[in-house]
Amino acid sequence: MTETAIEAAALGKGFGRRRKQALDDCSFRLLTGSVCAVVGPNGAGKSTLLSLAAGLLRPTDGTITVLGAAPAAVRERLAYVAQDKPLHPQLTVADTLRYGRELNPGRWDDQVAERIVAEGELEAGARIRTLSGGQRTRVALALALGKRPELLLLDEPMADLDPLARHQLMATLMADAAEHGTTVVMSSHVVAELDGACDHLLLLGAGRVRLSGPLDDLLAAHRLVTGRADASLDPHTVVESRTTGRQTTALVRPEGPLGPSWQATAPTLEELVLAHLRAPEAPALRLDDVREAAV
Amino acid sequence: MTAVTTLDTPAAVTSSRGPRGLLWAMLRLHRWALWFWLLLVAVGAGALLWAYGPGADAAWAEYHKAGCGSTTPPDLGCDLIGPAYTRYDTFVGVGAGILGLAPFLTAAWAGGALIGRELESGTAQLAWTQSVSPARWLAAKLAVPAALLTTGMLLLTLLHRLLWSTDGPLRAAMGSRSWYQGTTFEANGTLATSYALLGLAVGVLAALLQRRALPALGLAVVVLALLTTVLGTVRPYLWPLETLTNKHEYPAYIGMVVDEGALTSTGARVADPICVDNTKCLAEHDIVGFYRDYHPSSHFWPLQLVETGIVLAVAALTVLVAFRLLNRRTGAAV
Repeated sequence: MTETAIEAAALGKGFGRRRKQALDDCSFRLLTGSVCAVVGPNGAGKSTLLSLAAGLLRPTDGTITVLGAAPAAVRERLAYVAQDKPLHPQLTVADTLRYGRELNPGRWDDQVAERIVAEGELEAGARIRTLSGGQRTRVALALALGKRPELLLLDEPMADLDPLARHQLMATLMADAAEHGTTVVMSSHVVAELDGACDHLLLLGAGRVRLSGPLDDLLAAHRLVTGRADASLDPHTVVESRTTGRQTTALVRPEGPLGPSWQATAPTLEELVLAHLRAPEAPALRLDDVREAAV
Repeated sequence: MTAVTTLDTPAAVTSSRGPRGLLWAMLRLHRWALWFWLLLVAVGAGALLWAYGPGADAAWAEYHKAGCGSTTPPDLGCDLIGPAYTRYDTFVGVGAGILGLAPFLTAAWAGGALIGRELESGTAQLAWTQSVSPARWLAAKLAVPAALLTTGMLLLTLLHRLLWSTDGPLRAAMGSRSWYQGTTFEANGTLATSYALLGLAVGVLAALLQRRALPALGLAVVVLALLTTVLGTVRPYLWPLETLTNKHEYPAYIGMVVDEGALTSTGARVADPICVDNTKCLAEHDIVGFYRDYHPSSHFWPLQLVETGIVLAVAALTVLVAFRLLNRRTGAAV
């Protein structure tokens, strides 16, 4: 559990001649076996980060290390499902699985891939171009899991699925990951999709890391407080505060015991994320090194 | 199956089965292109073989039926082209045309379907996140079509040469097609094949630059057209010319004539003042003879091989740039 699955140091990626920064000075660490949610608004750099981790792009600044090596050197050990689930439209479902078998010699597990496809009641002879978005997602996931990856990178994996299929596929995914100790990194802008499944959070905003660390630690580091508008929140770090009438509601990082004038509750994942998204200027918080130091 | 593979070390399995896997993927993904190419080669080969056998026989029969071929030189009017010869000529044209067209079809396909579409739809990235590096992926994308193109093109070239070597008298009788004319020149040697390989390389690089199927297709065809035009223009200068001179009139027109004109008494080459037989005019311009710079048919192979070398060098350079571009973009350690 102490090994690092992904480590980014001052990672940056710019596109085009003007070097528009999709990612800028990102540093974080993710331990193996984690299930990490990469959250952020559209354009925050989630897809860029996953592409970098998959070895599909080269960073313009900094480094990213995956499973202890450069992403390109550990291609065999990671799987990646891109946001639009690219598959060859002219292949059948069976041929697509054969594609995985042929291109992942020595790693491919037919049973895993076929089980995922079978759960969706897909016909082996159906061509990919005739499938619905949800069915394509299922085949793409089968291709990714059939490879038996140590690190699974999923970019908006559940976006095309109806709630039932989403629930079912997520359960399959989590059971598989738990059984094999797979590290999963999953991006989404729908926070509810990830709640309950993830134990690690990476919040990106405008290409930078806003929050990074074990979910429980991050939640424990914040308090949702309510109190009179004229009460002081010093010396605590205020992420976001809103005043309605004479009452203030704020998300704070307590630097000590909160005064008696404040009513404090633990925030939910959604409250934590939304507060940070609404307050882009709030300082970043990294708790991913703390656990490593403790281990 | 799973039990067997786990007994081997993954590395050993990778090295022994990897190429087979990629080869399978190539043939499966581009199945229609493969069938189309086989069909094209079959049509070309069929046309050339028909022209070689029944086509030529029918043309000869027509020629003899017109009462020609018994006298030398042949009677006036014997080079009148009849329906059988037209048919023969059309079939030769189909064979040679396929050889001439194949490089452009290849460039369009390589830019559009082979690479461009995959980069556009993300299926290239799908391959790169299997256990296949981008460099190996590109190598397979180049090697498999290159092998099939070379085989098909060489087969058609050999058939065209077979035809060319036997239908000399028929061509002489009808006065059509010369060895140095564009399509014929390319179809009779190594050039058609090397241009097809250049088309493949140009298409691949265009697709990597454009990353979208349609623009890549267009760029590939335009660039290949430019390259073939430039090389076609410099073709006569790729081997030293021979010169014929003659007094009073032009020397015989034999082979690929590159330059011609008049000669003065000092041996200088000047533009022909077009005096025809006017001796006063000739004396006025100090014209004592005429010259022609040309390539005799013995220059076929030197010209052919020098140009082939240039085309293959450009293709190799293009491939090298493509690999470097892909590596720089994906940061792939091979």
